[in-house]
Amino acid sequence: MGYVAVKGGTLAIEESIKRLKYERLKKGTVLECARIEGGMRALIDQVMSEGSLYSETLAAIAIKQAEGSPEEAVFLLKAYRSTLPRKHYSCTVESTDMFVERRISASFKNIPGGQILGAAHDYTLRLIDFALQDETDEGAVRWLNRFESEKSGIDVQGADLDNLPKVLDVLRNEGLLLPCGDNDREPDDVTKESVQFPTSRSQRLQILTGGQTGAVTSLGYAALRSFGALHPTVGELRVGNLPIYVGSLLGEGQAEEDYYYIGDIKVTEAETIFPVTVQKENGRKEIEFGIGYGMCYGQNETKAIAMSILDRCLESGDAGYPVYDEEFVLLHINSVESTGFISHLKLPHYVTFRSELDSVRKTRKGKGTVGEDEGERP
Amino acid sequence: MVRKRRTEILINGSKEIAGRLAEEIAGKYEVAAIEEPGNGLVMVKVRETAKRSLFYLGEVFISECKVMINRCVGVGMVKGHEPELAYHLAVVDAAYNADLAETKAWTEVLLLEEERIGRQREALKSKILKTKVNFETMDA
Repeated sequence: MGYVAVKGGTLAIEESIKRLKYERLKKGTVLECARIEGGMRALIDQVMSEGSLYSETLAAIAIKQAEGSPEEAVFLLKAYRSTLPRKHYSCTVESTDMFVERRISASFKNIPGGQILGAAHDYTLRLIDFALQDETDEGAVRWLNRFESEKSGIDVQGADLDNLPKVLDVLRNEGLLLPCGDNDREPDDVTKESVQFPTSRSQRLQILTGGQTGAVTSLGYAALRSFGALHPTVGELRVGNLPIYVGSLLGEGQAEEDYYYIGDIKVTEAETIFPVTVQKENGRKEIEFGIGYGMCYGQNETKAIAMSILDRCLESGDAGYPVYDEEFVLLHINSVESTGFISHLKLPHYVTFRSELDSVRKTRKGKGTVGEDEGERP
Repeated sequence: MVRKRRTEILINGSKEIAGRLAEEIAGKYEVAAIEEPGNGLVMVKVRETAKRSLFYLGEVFISECKVMINRCVGVGMVKGHEPELAYHLAVVDAAYNADLAETKAWTEVLLLEEERIGRQREALKSKILKTKVNFETMDA
């Protein structure tokens, strides 16, 4: 059977796109991008993280265009990103430079600098607040003014939120974590070269941080629940702003004082601790701690913790479960790839299906097949 | 004032300051545009803390501009779509690179703004620290 070229549907497609706009506008209200940016913080963070592009404004426009669909918004963001030149690489960002807005540890009660809850849904009752139906801009401004004028009474001396010590250093100082020096090997970049297996650590972390939140969370949960039965402890979870610098472009050398500051980005960082049994040279078994690492754009705590679990699984790469298989994990968590491939099933498969139909009919020939002439004939 | 510190002040502080300083220069010197303000990306390189290795976190959307004053190039770049601020930052950068006399008087302005940013930051810290947990041991 040969392929038959067909055309048509242009008008229908144009009308379908018009219909899509109608669905977005049919209630006669327009959602301003500034309002999306102001009130949809979590969705913006998710879209920026999965789109691997930090811009609240672009994410807000994409969310508006996509009518709130994260997968569509991520697609738009990634498509736009591909049109822009990459002008620079930042200087190395260290998470110890974070201006911390939230920082908790499940491993130690008393941590240097303290447990700082910041802003989180964790401590709220999950009951719908029906009063929000009547919330007004004026009411919001009044609330903000009251909030700003509340006296804190907190002495900030000695609580350096932009230089908080890491919780893991407590374990390192006790010799319970192996000391590890800086590895300055330049990272691989999955946006420049296609991924080959086995991957490098930098490739794995880059793919995981841009992974679809739901997919990363589900696979992390699978590793936790039964497929590997890990139970890590969150050593430290941080949310805060990291300053971004670009080295001098004017041939003056790379002295830190000549860096260009371009602004801050909000990120979530998770360090999880895994007990690992290791056999020493004398045959004795000892328990040590391994670390899983997660970091992603915005406040995406579940994703960052799940990323750290998957990082640990892929680093150890054993146990015979799919979540330890880097090909299984890394090739299935990208939002555009997974949703795109599923969506391609909506495209015409007339020839493929006709071939399958013919095969089915042949196998049933002579068995009184019903509706033989009712099959689709493109 | 070194570039790292002054770009921190000009970006975190009031945008009016960068505009005022740039206008002062543009009124007295010829500012040639090498690269008009445009958008681009900066790839963020992060050191992870499990094995202390490097990886790319993703890109940041920026505005960038390049100008020349007295044969000295100035670069302005800032996160987001901020073409005007990128231009002003580029003019200020070129003024410093060309060692123009006006820049000497800017230090005081910049230091005042730095103090104001510092006060805002302290107020923010104070607010955040209200969420710090004060553990109390319960009697058995």
